[in-house]
Amino acid sequence: MGEERQIMIETVDLHKYFKDQHVLKGISVKVYKREVAAIIGPSGAGKSTFLRCINRLEEPSSGKIYIEGVDITSSRVDINKIRSEIGIVFQSYNLFPHLTAMENIKLAPVHVRKIPEKEAEQRGWELLRKVGLEDKAHAYPDQLSGGQQQRVAIARALAMQPHMVFFDEPTSALDPEMIREVLEVMQNLASEGMTMLVVSHELGFIREAATRVLVLADGCIIEEGTPRELFNNPKHSRTKEFLSKIL
Amino acid sequence: MFVLLVLLWVIGVLTDVEKPRWLRAMAALGFIFVFGLCFYRYSGARWDLFTTTFLNPRMMEGAWSELWLGLWMTLKLALVSMVISLILGLIIAVLRSSKNPVLDFFLVIYTDFFRAIPLIVLLVFVYYALPFLGIALDPYLAAILAVSLNYSAYMAEVFRSGIESIHRAQVEAARSLGLRPLQAMRLVILPQAVRVVVPPLTGLMVALLKDTALATIIGLPELLYKGIQTMIWKANPTPLVTVALIYLLVLLPLTRFSGYLERRSKKWVKSAK
Repeated sequence: MGEERQIMIETVDLHKYFKDQHVLKGISVKVYKREVAAIIGPSGAGKSTFLRCINRLEEPSSGKIYIEGVDITSSRVDINKIRSEIGIVFQSYNLFPHLTAMENIKLAPVHVRKIPEKEAEQRGWELLRKVGLEDKAHAYPDQLSGGQQQRVAIARALAMQPHMVFFDEPTSALDPEMIREVLEVMQNLASEGMTMLVVSHELGFIREAATRVLVLADGCIIEEGTPRELFNNPKHSRTKEFLSKIL
Repeated sequence: MFVLLVLLWVIGVLTDVEKPRWLRAMAALGFIFVFGLCFYRYSGARWDLFTTTFLNPRMMEGAWSELWLGLWMTLKLALVSMVISLILGLIIAVLRSSKNPVLDFFLVIYTDFFRAIPLIVLLVFVYYALPFLGIALDPYLAAILAVSLNYSAYMAEVFRSGIESIHRAQVEAARSLGLRPLQAMRLVILPQAVRVVVPPLTGLMVALLKDTALATIIGLPELLYKGIQTMIWKANPTPLVTVALIYLLVLLPLTRFSGYLERRSKKWVKSAK
């Protein structure tokens, strides 16, 4: 690709300590616009922590994080503004149980973006159609299956028209038969050119949709490459070991 | 000896869960009936004297209007104090959830102090001691202040436990959408927390209403005070018994209602998980 590509996320020597536990040991990563970057690695490697640091749900201990060129570790930055540009989809969906699917989706656009109720509702319908849940608009989260909840959660994240979406193991809490419906939605999103950062072990999805795979182990990126390179021909012994366990 | 054996047998029957329900109910009824009969027959109670002393309708003449005034004062005091302590308690709980160490320090002192101090002591202090600090309140305002201080501390703790019962992930989801801390509190946390705390809050309201009777000690003309006054004036305790009945009449539906809310909220909390 010869064209100049815009860097969406850049971390420089990112460290994170929990008490005296060194979780992230200097991570430097660039994610470009329209890229789907998948992060894999053994559990406890710091994948979720890395994701959560990037929108400061966890405060990084040291290092720099640039989102679309803005240093978000600076104390002068309006973190709420930055967060509203980043959609996050969590492992446990985290829908608001007291609100219907539609209300979940409308909440942030109405109260953060100050979009009129009517307009937000209209966008809500579009999003529900996109994730195939128009008929569940007025259902509460506890009336939905795990897969449906996760799709609503994706719609909720997209309602803010974010510039990028992070997925933190979006399918690992789901029953096998519901994983597909969620992955399909993610795949569509990827093919629309959304910038995505995905922590997942769904190798099928990664092979299909990811433009790049990062292997995170013991708090370091030990290897990266296209899915094909990495899966067929891993270089690092830890990568080989890890892949042999999940393939 | 024989009576004792029968007694043991009856108790055996009425607690044996394997016997049919109606049989256990009958055994209990029979037990109560026999016990009542024995008491009526052998206790040497003087029933005529009892009714003319404690349940004398003539003694109620002229007392009603006084008791009504008292009830009105009780309800006014209870209602105003409830509103104040609800608002104050909520504010304290929200402030504490911000985890500001300095704020936390003072608020913990506030809630611990006012929960630990007996309301009756607080009433006396507010009414009789505050004037020395240049704050002289009439009994009504003094009672509102004391009850509100006391109950806002309880309610703050209830609200706080409600807020803390909401999973951290809910806050994170809200914040990651760009909601500011207070928006997350107002739109996501509180609506869920309130459903959890409504039953314990109604319980506190019942207790508050009952505790207003303590304001008698500072001479506030509420229901109990009026009852005691008329009792002295009539030289007969019937008005006081009436006061007890009025309290029951007002409070019984409230306790039932709070029980109902509790059952309902249990259902809701279960379905939310």
